[in-house]
Amino acid sequence: MSRSLSYLLAASLIALPAPPALAQDAPAADTSSLLKDLQQRVLKLEGAPAKSSLNAFNPAIGMALDAAFRDSNDKAAFQFRAAELGLSAPVDPYLKAWVFITGSNGGVGVEEAVLETTALPHNLTARGGRLFASFGRLAHVHDHELPVVERPLSLDSSIGGETQADGLEVSWLAPTDLYLDATFGVYNKMGAENDRQDNLGARTLDEFTYLGRLNTYLDLTDTQNVELGVDAAWTPKRSVTEDIAVTGSANALTTRRNTWRTLSGLDFTYRHQPSGGGLYKGLVWGTEVMQNTERRFGPASRLPTDRVRAYSGYSYVELKTNRGWRGGLMADLTEDQDDPHRLTKTLTAFLTYDVTEFQRLRLTYAEGLVNVPGAVKNHTVAFQWTGLIGKHVHGFRDR
Amino acid sequence: MRSNIILALSLSIVGASAASALTLNVVATLPELADIASRIGGEHVKIDTLARGTEDIHQVVMRPSLVPKLNKADAVVYLGLTVEHTFLPGLLNVAANPEMREDAVKQCAGPGCIDCSEGVKVLEKPSTLSRSEGEIHPSGNPHYNLDPEEGLTIARNIAAGFSRLDSDHAADYRKNLKVYLAELEAKIVLWRKWAAPLKGVKAVSYHQDVPYLARFTGLEFVGTLEVKPGVAPTPSHLEKLVERMKQDKVALIVREKQFAPKLPGWMAEKTGAKVAVIGTMGKAFPGTDTFIKMSEHNLQALLGAVGKAP
Repeated sequence: MSRSLSYLLAASLIALPAPPALAQDAPAADTSSLLKDLQQRVLKLEGAPAKSSLNAFNPAIGMALDAAFRDSNDKAAFQFRAAELGLSAPVDPYLKAWVFITGSNGGVGVEEAVLETTALPHNLTARGGRLFASFGRLAHVHDHELPVVERPLSLDSSIGGETQADGLEVSWLAPTDLYLDATFGVYNKMGAENDRQDNLGARTLDEFTYLGRLNTYLDLTDTQNVELGVDAAWTPKRSVTEDIAVTGSANALTTRRNTWRTLSGLDFTYRHQPSGGGLYKGLVWGTEVMQNTERRFGPASRLPTDRVRAYSGYSYVELKTNRGWRGGLMADLTEDQDDPHRLTKTLTAFLTYDVTEFQRLRLTYAEGLVNVPGAVKNHTVAFQWTGLIGKHVHGFRDR
Repeated sequence: MRSNIILALSLSIVGASAASALTLNVVATLPELADIASRIGGEHVKIDTLARGTEDIHQVVMRPSLVPKLNKADAVVYLGLTVEHTFLPGLLNVAANPEMREDAVKQCAGPGCIDCSEGVKVLEKPSTLSRSEGEIHPSGNPHYNLDPEEGLTIARNIAAGFSRLDSDHAADYRKNLKVYLAELEAKIVLWRKWAAPLKGVKAVSYHQDVPYLARFTGLEFVGTLEVKPGVAPTPSHLEKLVERMKQDKVALIVREKQFAPKLPGWMAEKTGAKVAVIGTMGKAFPGTDTFIKMSEHNLQALLGAVGKAP
């Protein structure tokens, strides 16, 4: 019955006279625009347009642009500090990766290129490649994310810039109600500007740097909390290329006894975070103390000197008043690693205005003094302008 | 006697571990989601919450004490549409829970993720993605928890998620869902009557988080104190807004509780409009720890400001 009806309907449609051309075009145009409109709405409903090309798997891209104007002792300059390109994406169900490529006046370099597991059992996470080792509180933070314009001298002196390291790190999150994170790492060296070792060439196992870190956190009240970290980076042995003219050694590359180095650290952070304040209100007090112990090598002779123990550290307070403004003070004390009696004191005042989440202005005034007779104070004013384009994430380490 | 004691202890230990195995450990990002999840899950779930409710929903702080909660969770219930982008992906990244991983687009990926936004009638999907438009959300405006009707969608999504993860108790989840939907639907009927006087009332809000509230109440929002989403108010923008409010006879300024009262107060003085303070999450105010109480509080605040208290 229904089939007969279908035949009848089809025959009737065929028998119908064709409409005039003009009348036919108008509905077709209407239908076309209607379809287009519907298609647009469906695409919106389904989120991003269907990605049919291989580009759909391209990593997320973001870039931080960091520029400054710096005046130190009446000599000023505009500084192009960095353009930092960040790429990140999952590699497969078990791995993700990110890369930071930084261009600055010093050239272009790979700052980070990290593979990180996402599916290891027992709360383990492994990361490898070129990474920022998990030492300390601020040392692994990218320059433009620091609370001050210029990296504290204590970090530069003890670590050598950011904790950039070629190697492997494994973290373990304790399966407890208390937050407790343990990290073990092994690297060629730690510190981008650490010239004790380099990333080229092979080495024996006792010439790598080994890191251990424990980090924990406690809520004191609903609005106050503390975070505590303790760490040590140990390099069992160090080889140097001696100056044959000075030492008379037949082998230029030598390893002297007792050349181990330990960089130990203790960091403490207190945060007052009013419950209605979110990310932009509250107070942060961060302190970190480091102890470096090693036999230093004479810059000219390349011969080892006595073992030297030098301390360095910083403490800062940052007050966040509202979504836009925050400011504070940082004090930094750094003993010279060759001569611990030579102490550099730096006091920095900083004021930050977050225009939006993606644009920041910062003004700092720093006063530095080395405790040697006749030394004069060093005054530095810096104005920093930072912008972020593309992908922007709130990482746990940057909180 | 001794063997009986040992047997009893063994049985109680086995029983306790079996009971804990049957309980779903659930983490909800927001208090009102925790409330609905507890209603649906009943005795079969144990619920923790990440946000306190008094924060700006976009600025919940990643406290490390939240990491162990996510590490042990069987499920995370979240609002979605990237509203939790400042805290949920970052916490998931370090929580080392293979059931739920951070995801750049959906915030959470894995069998333990329960995205409450599925099936929501999403408003304000951007036609273009550019930061020149402020802090816009690529998938559309995420503040659908301010529309009481979307509470029904949230509850259905949670029930579906729980049933998927714990099929043994699916019948209980369905039963609890039915009870909750009936209660919420009855409230919605009542609230629609309450909201009638708000229809057509012109208003401004501090942040662009009110379109779903407008959809339910009929309020007509004509602008925001923020220049664009997430971009702080400027004097010139506020002066223009004051002019527009005078021209359009705007009667209501909606201040979300997390924003300071100073600017809305100044606007009210300049225009004669009344200020209503609402919460964008449960627990923003004392006594608003459930979705129903949060919705009711917000409606009462709006009605109170326009002199039509229910």
